[in-house]
Amino acid sequence: MKEEKALSKPEKQLTKKDLRKAFWTWQFFSHANYNYERLQAGAFAHAMGPIIKKLYDTKEDTVAALKRHLVFFNTAPNWGAVIHGIVIAMEEKRANGAEISDEAINSVKTGLMGPLAGLGDTLTQGTIIPLLLAIGISFGVEGSVFGPLFFLIVCPAVLVSIAYTMWMRGYYSGKDAVESMLSSGRLNEIISAAGILGCAVIGALIGQFVTFSTVFVVNVGQTAINLQADVFDPIMPKLLPLLLTVGLYKLLDRGKSPTFLMVAIIVVSFIGTFLGIL
Amino acid sequence: MEIWQAVCIALLYYISDSPWPVGVGYYVIQRPLVAGFLTGLVLGMPVEGTIIGATMNLIYLGHITAGGTMPGDMALAGYLGTGLALAAGLDVNAALALAVPLGLLGTIVWFTRMSVDSIFVHWADKYAEEGDIAKVGLMNWVPGQTLLLVIKVPAVIIAAVYGPDLVSAAIAFVGDNVLHALIVAGGMLPALGIALNLRSILKKATIPYFIVGFALVAYLGLDIIGVALFGVVMAAVSMQFMKKNEGGEGLV
Repeated sequence: MKEEKALSKPEKQLTKKDLRKAFWTWQFFSHANYNYERLQAGAFAHAMGPIIKKLYDTKEDTVAALKRHLVFFNTAPNWGAVIHGIVIAMEEKRANGAEISDEAINSVKTGLMGPLAGLGDTLTQGTIIPLLLAIGISFGVEGSVFGPLFFLIVCPAVLVSIAYTMWMRGYYSGKDAVESMLSSGRLNEIISAAGILGCAVIGALIGQFVTFSTVFVVNVGQTAINLQADVFDPIMPKLLPLLLTVGLYKLLDRGKSPTFLMVAIIVVSFIGTFLGIL
Repeated sequence: MEIWQAVCIALLYYISDSPWPVGVGYYVIQRPLVAGFLTGLVLGMPVEGTIIGATMNLIYLGHITAGGTMPGDMALAGYLGTGLALAAGLDVNAALALAVPLGLLGTIVWFTRMSVDSIFVHWADKYAEEGDIAKVGLMNWVPGQTLLLVIKVPAVIIAAVYGPDLVSAAIAFVGDNVLHALIVAGGMLPALGIALNLRSILKKATIPYFIVGFALVAYLGLDIIGVALFGVVMAAVSMQFMKKNEGGEGLV
């Protein structure tokens, strides 16, 4: 009986083409309907469309699969693509009769999306983009269009390659491999190394791009002391930009919102200008 | 500014937030560096546009959306700000003064879109109930992108056409002190983006590398590529030490 059933229902096998179709749907549309209620939920279901179509024949299974992937989801669109790869592999096994529950699929999604969002924030937004951007900007401020062109070409190439690699790796090596990678030292090593590069670059950005100095002159008896040239510069070049950044870092740490600090900086600039200090 | 130029700038502003540039709009097309260059191309002044965009981008250097915060709409500053500055013939510093208010104004678009888009997921729910895969996919972009087009494009066209005269008049009206204050703010604001970014990547163990990066620029005047090279070497060395501690192939 069982053998007959197996004969009448051949194994459902996803092709590389299916995987690619789903990947590009995600790559393009991950934030097409970004929203407060469920973040990237719609995009996840959208990307799973080609997979669901291939794997499930009955309306009942299709409805269940679509609903399964319309739940809250949010991760880094590039590094997090490994989750989609894993989920696709799980769906494929499920469609072929394996006992994989909704909860199992859901817990993989919710379990991995947080750590990978963190990874994405550190590596993509914290290191790769500031670095490439700083290179582009340093050419751009000199009036060289090489700056924006460089960024326009290199940054997408890097980000799409990461997403594609993660997606395929997720599908072929599966949940266990990713979990062991996340827990083993390998990934921590990569994150620490990226953190070192990122912190060095960010330190450099302060020196290169933050401008903050005073024009205040104190008259002590006969001599006029220029606060910037006579006090701050001898202590350390770029002292004020460094102190400003560290101070803002501390304020953010204490829970002040970025928008509040932005307005505060503008207010301070006005007060400083009208007092003749800045 | 010609109408077609205003339309191009408005469409670029929309496209930067849309799925169409391979999904990397936020990471790439929204950056004022790119926005300034593209707006400059539209207005026939790519070099001037690039300088303005690159300078404005300093404010948004460390722009990061971790935790859902949105400290300003860098794309509105980049596209409309550069467009207005070029059309009004402003210098770089005055252009920088435009970036801050425009960036703050643009956050309204972000909040509107993030709120209203929540409705469209429910439309997708309805089609999921019917098992309609194609329509679930369509709900992910058709309504949301229509909304974005409607709230972004007309407003920016009007601002780009009528804005330059207003901007020139306003800059002339407010006088040198206000302009100076905004330039001072423009110099300080990169520190906020950098501090935000530091919050996501700085750990106790990486403080020394942060100081090295700063010192290489402050004392030795290296550029970013130079510092990045030192950074790569320090990262590689530290990885070897980590391997050694695990008992693998190490330095010694």
